[in-house]
Amino acid sequence: MAMADTAPTAGTAQADAPKVKASDGVTGADAAHLTQEDRTALLRAMLQMRGIEERAMSLYRQGKVPGSFYDGYGQEAVSAGAAFAMAAEDRLCILHRDLAAHLIRGVTPTRIFSQYMGRAAGITHGRDGNVHFGDKDLGCVGMVSMLPDMMLVATGMAMAFKIRGEARCALTWFGDGSTSRGDFHEAMNWAGVQKLPVVFVLENNQYAYSTPLDKQFAVDPVRRAEAYGFEGVSVDGNDAEAMFEATRVARERAIAGDGPTLIEAVTMRMHGHAAHDDMKYVPAEQVQEWKQRDPIERQEKRLAELGVDVEALRAEVAAELDTAVTEALAGPMPTPDNVLDGLFCEGEAEPLGDGHAPWSGFAQGGGR
Amino acid sequence: MSSSHTETTTATLVDITMPQMGVSVAEGTIVAWRVEVGDRVEADQTLCDISTDKIETEVPSPTAGIIAEILVEVEQTVEVGVVLARLAVGDGAVVPASAPAPVVDSAPAANAPPAATGAPADAPAPTAPPSTAVARGNGNGRRYSPVVQRIAAEHNVDLSTVTGTGRGGRVRKQDVLALVGGGALVDPPLHIESPYRPDPPAPAAAPVPAAASAPAAAAPPVPVSGDGLSRMRRQIGEHMKRSLEVAATCTTWAEADMTRVEKARGTLGVTALAYVARATVEALREYPALNAWLDGEQYTRHADVNLGIAVSLGDDGLIVPVIHRAQELSVEGLAARIRELAGKARNRQLTNDDVSGGTFTITAPGQFGSIMATPVINQPQVGILDFEAVVKRPVVISDEDGSDSIAIRSMTILGLSWDHRALDGALSAQFLSAIRARLESVGS
Amino acid sequence: MATMTYLQAISSALRDEMRADESVMVMGEDIGVFGGAFKVTDGMIEEFGPDRVMDTPLAESAIIGCAVGAAVVGLRPVCEMQFSDFISCGFDQLVNVAGKMHYRQGLAVPITVRLPSGGGFSGGPFHSQNPEALFMHSPGIKVVAPSTAEDAKGLLHAAMHDPNPVCFMEHKHLYRRVKGDVREGVYETPFTARIARPGSDLVVICYGAMVDVALQATEDLDGASIEVLDLRSLVPLDEDAILGSVARCSKVVIVDEANMTCAAGAQVAALIAEKGFEDLDGPVTRVATPDVPIPFSPPLEQAVLPGVDRVKEACRELLAY
Repeated sequence: MAMADTAPTAGTAQADAPKVKASDGVTGADAAHLTQEDRTALLRAMLQMRGIEERAMSLYRQGKVPGSFYDGYGQEAVSAGAAFAMAAEDRLCILHRDLAAHLIRGVTPTRIFSQYMGRAAGITHGRDGNVHFGDKDLGCVGMVSMLPDMMLVATGMAMAFKIRGEARCALTWFGDGSTSRGDFHEAMNWAGVQKLPVVFVLENNQYAYSTPLDKQFAVDPVRRAEAYGFEGVSVDGNDAEAMFEATRVARERAIAGDGPTLIEAVTMRMHGHAAHDDMKYVPAEQVQEWKQRDPIERQEKRLAELGVDVEALRAEVAAELDTAVTEALAGPMPTPDNVLDGLFCEGEAEPLGDGHAPWSGFAQGGGR
Repeated sequence: MSSSHTETTTATLVDITMPQMGVSVAEGTIVAWRVEVGDRVEADQTLCDISTDKIETEVPSPTAGIIAEILVEVEQTVEVGVVLARLAVGDGAVVPASAPAPVVDSAPAANAPPAATGAPADAPAPTAPPSTAVARGNGNGRRYSPVVQRIAAEHNVDLSTVTGTGRGGRVRKQDVLALVGGGALVDPPLHIESPYRPDPPAPAAAPVPAAASAPAAAAPPVPVSGDGLSRMRRQIGEHMKRSLEVAATCTTWAEADMTRVEKARGTLGVTALAYVARATVEALREYPALNAWLDGEQYTRHADVNLGIAVSLGDDGLIVPVIHRAQELSVEGLAARIRELAGKARNRQLTNDDVSGGTFTITAPGQFGSIMATPVINQPQVGILDFEAVVKRPVVISDEDGSDSIAIRSMTILGLSWDHRALDGALSAQFLSAIRARLESVGS
Repeated sequence: MATMTYLQAISSALRDEMRADESVMVMGEDIGVFGGAFKVTDGMIEEFGPDRVMDTPLAESAIIGCAVGAAVVGLRPVCEMQFSDFISCGFDQLVNVAGKMHYRQGLAVPITVRLPSGGGFSGGPFHSQNPEALFMHSPGIKVVAPSTAEDAKGLLHAAMHDPNPVCFMEHKHLYRRVKGDVREGVYETPFTARIARPGSDLVVICYGAMVDVALQATEDLDGASIEVLDLRSLVPLDEDAILGSVARCSKVVIVDEANMTCAAGAQVAALIAEKGFEDLDGPVTRVATPDVPIPFSPPLEQAVLPGVDRVKEACRELLAY
């Protein structure tokens, strides 16, 4: 299993050797807790994510998406695998390259397209842009741009679960650049001190905007977990099943009262930081190399071997997304009439609701 | 200001007549005489205060001289052109034996140069606006705070007569309040007010809790009386009634989507009325038939748009200052002029020019929440536009593809009263639509 | 009714809420075993246990951030900044995460942040600040600042019941100096201004520790009738009360203990200029701390903080205007 592996370098990140974490590819060694339906669901979520982001990029170029646009091309397995291991009552803070997590928790593609286009039907009704959203009714706190602020929010949710003695866990994603900020330290430390049921997924995609790893840290961040008093594991972030398995184990540990886990998902940002970024600072060979490890192709290969009609699934997802685009385009822009409303909550404070939890393990009680 | 000269054996007598204060004004009333027979007066010195339904103003002396006769008494109403008084000028001018010594230090003229008794009989009437000297009071450069000016305006207090107890003799709120509350004021000339005053409140032993205390400035309540209308009210009434009698008044309404105006006006920091004024001016240029006077059979179109804007003066009534050559002003320019004229109106500082020559009028009582009205035409104009409250309402809008949806829009109802003697319904509807189209395309 | 100090009133509110509502917890540095730097939470850990009276790591960003997380899953955390100055380390979580949350995604963040603020005791540049205006300028955060024991308790109850982030500015100088009758049990003081003393010649508008300064300064000022308006709440700002006082008195002195530029009083002055202009009978006058850090040495500190004499002088000047 991938999470037993250690980091590829012995303590220091090497400038000339971008971090690669290769699992054993297609054998499906991490699938022990996954049914064929689960494995198909993982592929489906990744196909949806890629399909949505491709269509959104095209809408962006057509001038339908205001502002900027960020995607997670090549990183689909990180959010799909981790979110798939989370129970309905768990709570998530989802980052901007983790669209598959929203999809797994139950946000519909139409609402996501509407969100991108600043339309009234978007998750934030046009108040916040692109991937800055979280559906509170589905257990997600939307991210802010100051990274990794949400590590502290996730820590606080876990703190509440622990105080109340609830068998729930919180999970958040953040990037390699986030490890440099104080909130990373404050969250890791606090979670370690209080042994909180929280899973930190460090999405190491090699670049923070244009800044490579060797300018970000001198010590491999996955090794820092130990210094905070809990386990850190490094996982092939391009393998959805490995991500699922590592998260499932981390969640088990959290709920058992054994504290947090830092999961480093090693992956590669295959597109620029945002739509405007041509990524000239990334060597072409590096991109080529990572193309060979595409997470969707890998999952498709596994399922094809199991006899799943992958082409049919692709077609089904494509049709679903085409419909969603049409629906979103038909929706109105928000009216400014209520632009001043809702600054404050006027009624009772409603806490987050439960998200979808499609993993078969929860249906069978396996989540506990 | 009109005056005519009469040669006499001893001096030239100059007639002081009731001035024409605006095209439609037919008469005026003497509010107060500031001079007596025998008084020596300077050029520009105020002789009397007059009131018409348009304006309250002062009649300045056209030249230096001695008051020979006063022919119209206070409260008397006379037609325009009637001689109010006669002024003796020239070498032969003498003080009548019974008259008191000339007053040279009366308040409004305290700083005036020494009396030019030797002014030639045919000296031309000064052209300087008479209000200037008066507005500056005694010329000592006193400035008043907003609250002092407001209270003074509400109670018609002449601030130049108020003794200030603030630093350097500055008039404080308390000074003007003492005057208002203490009844030391002369009765406001425009009101028919009962001399009744309620008993003064018992002196409070302790400060009153704030929530319960009325503002210290509150004047004693004026009892409602059914027997007295102010002069201005009476005259407005007669004027409006006359308009309804002579004009074939019809009213046409149109609904306008003000959403763009509401958005744009925030950026410019102006009122919606300024946009309506601008749209109206443009529409009048397109439909000059409405920028006209109809006086009897005489129908005159005007090249310039002299836009009247009705300004409420509260209980006193209303007045219609005019923005001359309004077609030359932008929205911001119109807004500034409207502000300026409304301020002057409320402070009773309008000059004759400010209220005359209007070719079309806008009335905008919508600030009080009303949504529809049938305005009465300001004679001899042929149209008046009523602009009411802008309210948010659900309306059906169609997009470019022709699909309909319901949206929340800021809407208003524009009412145009027009004179069927001068034009027909189709034209008035087109005119109203032109205004609407302009309002709805603001900012596009 | 019981006579309490301002500090006891705050403790009483916390204790009453924790007894009444299991979801209420207090968290901060040294607040548990030690009872807090100012002993506001003294003895609470014995009654409520270490989970609900939480000694946290020295990490202000984490205190706010974790409170946000706990609040969105149903707790009612009350954070203590040991000194209000330290909120600068938690600014991002408060302003960007907590303050914008409900507007962006309709998710309520019911947290109260207690901020022991103000100077007057040689705290120096890092223990004497009045940072409330920073949060007035940050949408989505309410800001209250009691001046009496009764309001300290009532406003803290109201803050803890409010479904939004509330900064509770408690003035350190008042902790043991101000005493008063305080109602028993849970009651809410509304987020509106209070007329501390009615008057008609001039109004002093202030909040927090400056209310006491204003009352002292104007108690007998040459026989003038001077109103003192205690704002109590800065967000929302009680515009009606402010304009009402201006209409009554027409002369206004605004006192801030905070640094002058863009302080709460600057907003009050702007409001009066915009909406109370017609009622003014003199320039709106401000007394505030000049724009320097609060110096340590007593003569220096006293020189910058607004005191009774400065307020008196400003009132006299304006009365004579």
